[in-house]
Amino acid sequence: MSTTGPPSSGAALGLFLVAAGITAVAAAVVAVRRGLSGRPREPVAFRVPLPVAPRDPIRAESEVFRTAPGMLAIDPAVGPDRPAHPRTLRTVRFLRAFPGAPPVIPHPLSAEEFRTVACKTCHERGGYAARFAAYVPLTPHPERGVCLQCHLGVDSVMGTVEADADPSARCPLCHGPSGGAARPAASVTWRTTVWPRLPRVAADRDPPPIPHDLHYRENCLTCHAGPAAAREIRTRHPERANCRQCHLALEAAAAIFRRPPGIAPAESGGGP
Amino acid sequence: MNPLDRRSFLRKLGLLSATTAVCGVTLPLEAERAVRGGQRLVWKRVPCRLCGVGCGLLVGLESGRPVAVKGDPDAPVNRGLACAKGYHAVQILAGPDRITRALVRRAGRLTEAPLGEALDLVSLRLRETVRQHGKDSVAIYGSAQWSVTDAYLAAKLFKGALGTNNVETSARLAAASAAAGLRSTFGLDGTIGCSEDIDHADVFILWDVNLAETDPVLFSRLLDRKRANPAVRIIELATRTSRTSYAVDHSLLHAPHTGLAIANAVCHEVVARKWVHREFVRQHVAFKRGATGLGNGLEVEALVEEVAADVGWSDYVAFLEEYAPARVQELSGISAASIRWLASLYGDPLRKVTTLWGPELHQDVRGTWANNALYNIHLLVGKIASPGNSPWCLTGQVGAWAVGWGGAGCEVLPGGLVSREEDRRRAAEVWGVPVDHLAAAPGPPVLAMFRRLERGDIRFLWIMGANPLANLPNLDRYRRAGSREDRFIVVSEAYPTLTTDVADVVLPAALWFEREGMYAGGERRVQHFERLAVPPGDATSDAWQLIEVARRMGFGSLFAYEGPRQVEQIWEEYRRFHASPGQALPSVSELREQPGVLWPSVAGRETRWRYNSRYDPAASRARGDYDFYGHADHRAWIWLRPYEPAVEAPDPTYPFWLITGGVLEHWGTGSLTRRVPVLHRALPHAYVEINREDARDLGLRNRQRVRLVSRRGAVEVEARIDYRSQPPRGVVFVPCFDEGVPIRRLMLDASCPLSGQPDAATCAVRIEPLPAASG
Repeated sequence: MSTTGPPSSGAALGLFLVAAGITAVAAAVVAVRRGLSGRPREPVAFRVPLPVAPRDPIRAESEVFRTAPGMLAIDPAVGPDRPAHPRTLRTVRFLRAFPGAPPVIPHPLSAEEFRTVACKTCHERGGYAARFAAYVPLTPHPERGVCLQCHLGVDSVMGTVEADADPSARCPLCHGPSGGAARPAASVTWRTTVWPRLPRVAADRDPPPIPHDLHYRENCLTCHAGPAAAREIRTRHPERANCRQCHLALEAAAAIFRRPPGIAPAESGGGP
Repeated sequence: MNPLDRRSFLRKLGLLSATTAVCGVTLPLEAERAVRGGQRLVWKRVPCRLCGVGCGLLVGLESGRPVAVKGDPDAPVNRGLACAKGYHAVQILAGPDRITRALVRRAGRLTEAPLGEALDLVSLRLRETVRQHGKDSVAIYGSAQWSVTDAYLAAKLFKGALGTNNVETSARLAAASAAAGLRSTFGLDGTIGCSEDIDHADVFILWDVNLAETDPVLFSRLLDRKRANPAVRIIELATRTSRTSYAVDHSLLHAPHTGLAIANAVCHEVVARKWVHREFVRQHVAFKRGATGLGNGLEVEALVEEVAADVGWSDYVAFLEEYAPARVQELSGISAASIRWLASLYGDPLRKVTTLWGPELHQDVRGTWANNALYNIHLLVGKIASPGNSPWCLTGQVGAWAVGWGGAGCEVLPGGLVSREEDRRRAAEVWGVPVDHLAAAPGPPVLAMFRRLERGDIRFLWIMGANPLANLPNLDRYRRAGSREDRFIVVSEAYPTLTTDVADVVLPAALWFEREGMYAGGERRVQHFERLAVPPGDATSDAWQLIEVARRMGFGSLFAYEGPRQVEQIWEEYRRFHASPGQALPSVSELREQPGVLWPSVAGRETRWRYNSRYDPAASRARGDYDFYGHADHRAWIWLRPYEPAVEAPDPTYPFWLITGGVLEHWGTGSLTRRVPVLHRALPHAYVEINREDARDLGLRNRQRVRLVSRRGAVEVEARIDYRSQPPRGVVFVPCFDEGVPIRRLMLDASCPLSGQPDAATCAVRIEPLPAASG
């Protein structure tokens, strides 16, 4: 399982050509298979468990209606997509070791911020952060106090970089010391699963179900609305705040919710 | 290792192409995965093994491969939350340098060997050493992450089959004083309350424990409790300002090693203000005095047997005279007013108080005494063993309690003690060995064991899943002992460590849920986990290795466990040691059904608050609300434990206190967590935190390298100023996860004579700045 050292440039070119060739063939095969399987067949059953409504009001249903102050504010001078760093699904995945993992912190923290876990100053409120020339993504669980319990940064800029340091100091966080890709959460010897994708549904216009579980992510709008949301998953109708009126969780995801303690199973109507 | 299937082939291509600086080539792989479809994860329940809390995790398995983690919403301890270690824990199985083949030292070098051959060699050397040097020349040192069943098998092999009590585990380093404290005060080990106390308490007092980093999930629950009820107060006693300090209501800084004196001062105040719960004390408490002048364990051979002398209330009051808050203020640096205020919180009949403390308090030459002193406060005010009123000692290791119950400790047998004849008779009967085969004299606690190795009294040592040669105090001395020519060291490990460096044989070990087992976390919760993943290469479970060696030694009839239900057979046999209601354990089928059972568990009824007759099936209602059945007199004992100065305190040559401890990102010696990319990148190296003014006096800049020197050794390390914690003047802190900064080299190998737990948390050092150019 040992990896070889960097190949010489001639060999690298050769390898690259071979690799590119095989990749192209693979891509073609995959594309064909995908095309075949994508042909309209029977409506949907398609390995997707039937969407089910949660059997009872979920713990944080009311949270869905909460819009944090400033969340939708857009600095008129800056569009939501910065050309240098558009926030896309690729960014979302880049920062996570696996689907559902707590994302790592891609920016520096000053000593004070690091020590006192001051994350919520920005991430509870959202808006434009001039310091990073970016819109601040919101936390879906502002009630949790110790952010650094789950979200880790990168040592070289944690607690040592001054708050007003040159933004370019943070490039190596994601781009590696020599500019190459260095995924903060990646492992060479461990790979994760497929990232959740929207299952195809019966008709194009049906509201898609929710493909991930909602644990600690019950407030949909924090990630799916506003200028900091990843482009592909940004809702076009943020004003319709009761998301789960139309978008239902897949069974597997809904299964994490529990009746409040004290209600006997007989009263809860049973269920699978 | 893995067959090169199409997906991994494509993946390798992806990697290769990425290194040749082309983007987008991973797209076909993505597309293929999309066609194959996700959503086929199977979620299985597993207790986390990366600290002492015992969080319930759900591990997502895809074709038998662990690919994702989430917190188990059903788990009573963590209720769906985990920490960064837990969320990324499955990656500890997949480090790039995982040991997958047996290694045997030939001509000075570890070389790969067939597993069977290595096991033959181990059993041959074990048999030969016993024959030439006697049964006490062999020893086993296991892990506090052992499954209870692993610990039980090790005890059975060494104590039952071979007849030596040379069995120790890393639990001795983490929790021995906690266990000894419980045993001396209550007669039995195992904590009093459970995590549910957090939902009831009005006041939390954290005693020398940086809970936000060492037990983050518990800390989050404390903060949740406070958010739900803003009247809740969290107060911290600490030797440095840490992340915990910034989140609590009050942080009281005190000098290291003075916790015991502060506890006595609180008792003094409780007595002086007449806040004692007289009815409770009259009915349920006895007062005892033990021997003093026990020494500091620097050259001891065995644990000191405690002899309790009966004393009365007036003796106790007279004993407390010395601990007036004003005097303890001078000793500890905590103001007398703060001590009085603390006492008023304990003494307030309307508030429920839960105290939490951890390894920093246990790792002290008077660790057992400090534990006793904290129980004394709760016993005096009767705030114990009821919801929200709980003295809770944390251990830092998920198996720290269980390996002791399983019999893996120099002084214990499964469910009992080697020195008690009835316990030896029961063991002999269950194991089917003659009773005189079991040694009655306790073996050597960990430091004594390694000193015997140094002297040559022990010549064969089998280390399983532990890293003692990275974390024993006065490290270099014991590394030299382990490296001697005629010592045979076997190490069962998953990764190369400082300990495998000196091994003669390395056996590849299965980790965590690569085998079936049981853990018992900090709140007496026994949790079962299935074997969910296949260990790589030749790696096998510790239990399998023990059984194979036992069979090769001719003890096959004692270890006749067969088939896939092996672990269940071992557990059921072990349960026979826990027949009495006060120690009863749940069956495997009970364990399978739920995320853990709070031991003792009688007829399916778990015990949330021990010794409380409303909750504990073993407590007799005839004795009132509480029955402290651990002692024959059915009372909890208040011990008169005097404060004694530290063995080594700062002086003009070594002017700083050195404190060591844990950080959130890493666990133990980092041998697992440093193999996880997210954790390693977040904190790749150890550092020394120095107070800003001390740094100024030394002319130190942030991130400059320094040499830390003690009487025993030196390390070079990077200095950090105002980083994640801020020590007070005269104190420095170094985390101990980094084998490149073997900080335990500096520590003094003193230990608590009653528990045998080394004093691995504090010593005196000096700081020598290195030229700035090198840093």
